[in-house]
Amino acid sequence: MKYIEALSLQEALEILAGDDEARCLAGGATLVAMMNADLIAPSTLISLRRIEELKGISAVDNYIRIGAMNTHSDVANAEQLLSGNAFVIRDAARQIAHPAIRNMGTIGGSICHADPASDFPGSLVAANAELEIIGTDGLRQIPVQDFFVDYLETSLQEGEVLTAILVPTTHSQAHGRHLKFSRTHGDYATVSVSLVLSMQSDVCNYARVAIGSVAPTPLHLDTVDNILTGSKLNDDVLDDAANLLQEACDPIDDVRGSAEYRRKIIPGLLKRAIAEALG
Amino acid sequence: MTNKQIVKLEVNGDTHELLVQPTQTLLHVLREQLQLTGTKCGCNNGVCGSCTIIVDGQAVRACLSLAVASSEKEITTIEGLEENGKLQSLQQAFIDKQGLQCGFCTPGMIMSSLALLAKNPSPSIDDIREDLSGNLCRCTGYVKIADAVMSAIEVEQS
Repeated sequence: MKYIEALSLQEALEILAGDDEARCLAGGATLVAMMNADLIAPSTLISLRRIEELKGISAVDNYIRIGAMNTHSDVANAEQLLSGNAFVIRDAARQIAHPAIRNMGTIGGSICHADPASDFPGSLVAANAELEIIGTDGLRQIPVQDFFVDYLETSLQEGEVLTAILVPTTHSQAHGRHLKFSRTHGDYATVSVSLVLSMQSDVCNYARVAIGSVAPTPLHLDTVDNILTGSKLNDDVLDDAANLLQEACDPIDDVRGSAEYRRKIIPGLLKRAIAEALG
Repeated sequence: MTNKQIVKLEVNGDTHELLVQPTQTLLHVLREQLQLTGTKCGCNNGVCGSCTIIVDGQAVRACLSLAVASSEKEITTIEGLEENGKLQSLQQAFIDKQGLQCGFCTPGMIMSSLALLAKNPSPSIDDIREDLSGNLCRCTGYVKIADAVMSAIEVEQS
């Protein structure tokens, strides 16, 4: 295996274009663990750590731009993500694993791995984020839900690199919450709820809910957002929302819980997340 | 067959120029090439915390760091804490409070605690428990470990 520290995105793209078995190295928290376990053996590792365009969190036009190489700790401490629909992403970041892992793993690496039990995917769907992707044909920008295709599978094409997460600043007064139910502190979620809500007096005028760990990709239903929006979020409405999510989810049995158990957790976790978001 | 690369590592204030395989982790190089065996290899996939070291002021897992990717970084291992034959206050507190049984997890526990105290010099016992939740002790000595960290803070503040 060769190890190369690309000094620019252009250089990284050129290496990727010339070598099908090359892989990008972000923080290494998952990729190096997979290499240690002989699950993957790239021909070349292209370290992204020196590429300036992938760093930093900044306001760009009507978005907050989170460079793909920001660590979970960077995101968890970012002042730009303290309010509005962006907060749910910060709330997810601080709950990922443990301090040493949060200091290593990156938001870009995490979502490219597309583990449905991880925390960022649902939070990005709830925040209505978009992704900036670069390939040899240039930049493209897609809604985050179009990125997650299946278990550990994304719509990132061969030779492309995820460069940034773009969070629209359209709901600056919204409340957010990422609430996870896990077996022990720092574990992957058995089920997670990510949501963004706006209230006008006691009526909800904007809602976006995503459930993690209950399907191959984050579960988001327009019907759920629609019945919450315009309601007072009373118990009947929340029961209806939870029923829709329970019917649409497609959980698996694994060490973190049975499919049936996961389905049963959804209503309680949803209600608790809403109460905490507004509390 | 892979191609070895030269990497310059700054470990505990010393510079080492080493020839390493690009797939070798920093943990492997610390232990096998630099003989710094205080940093332990438990799970080798980032879960157990026994290989925790401090890089550029932050706790990281040595088993998830590639040695070739660790140049131009300030690396501190458990061996770097003692000064002029005097143990660092956390090390002494773990001994005084018997914050260990078999001792395998202890270097990782101390490095994680050191990173916590650098960020937050007066953590509560709950802060300590939360921050150390990524370090597993199979002798189940967590109460005495947290007590040892609290005791080190008291020593530092007195």
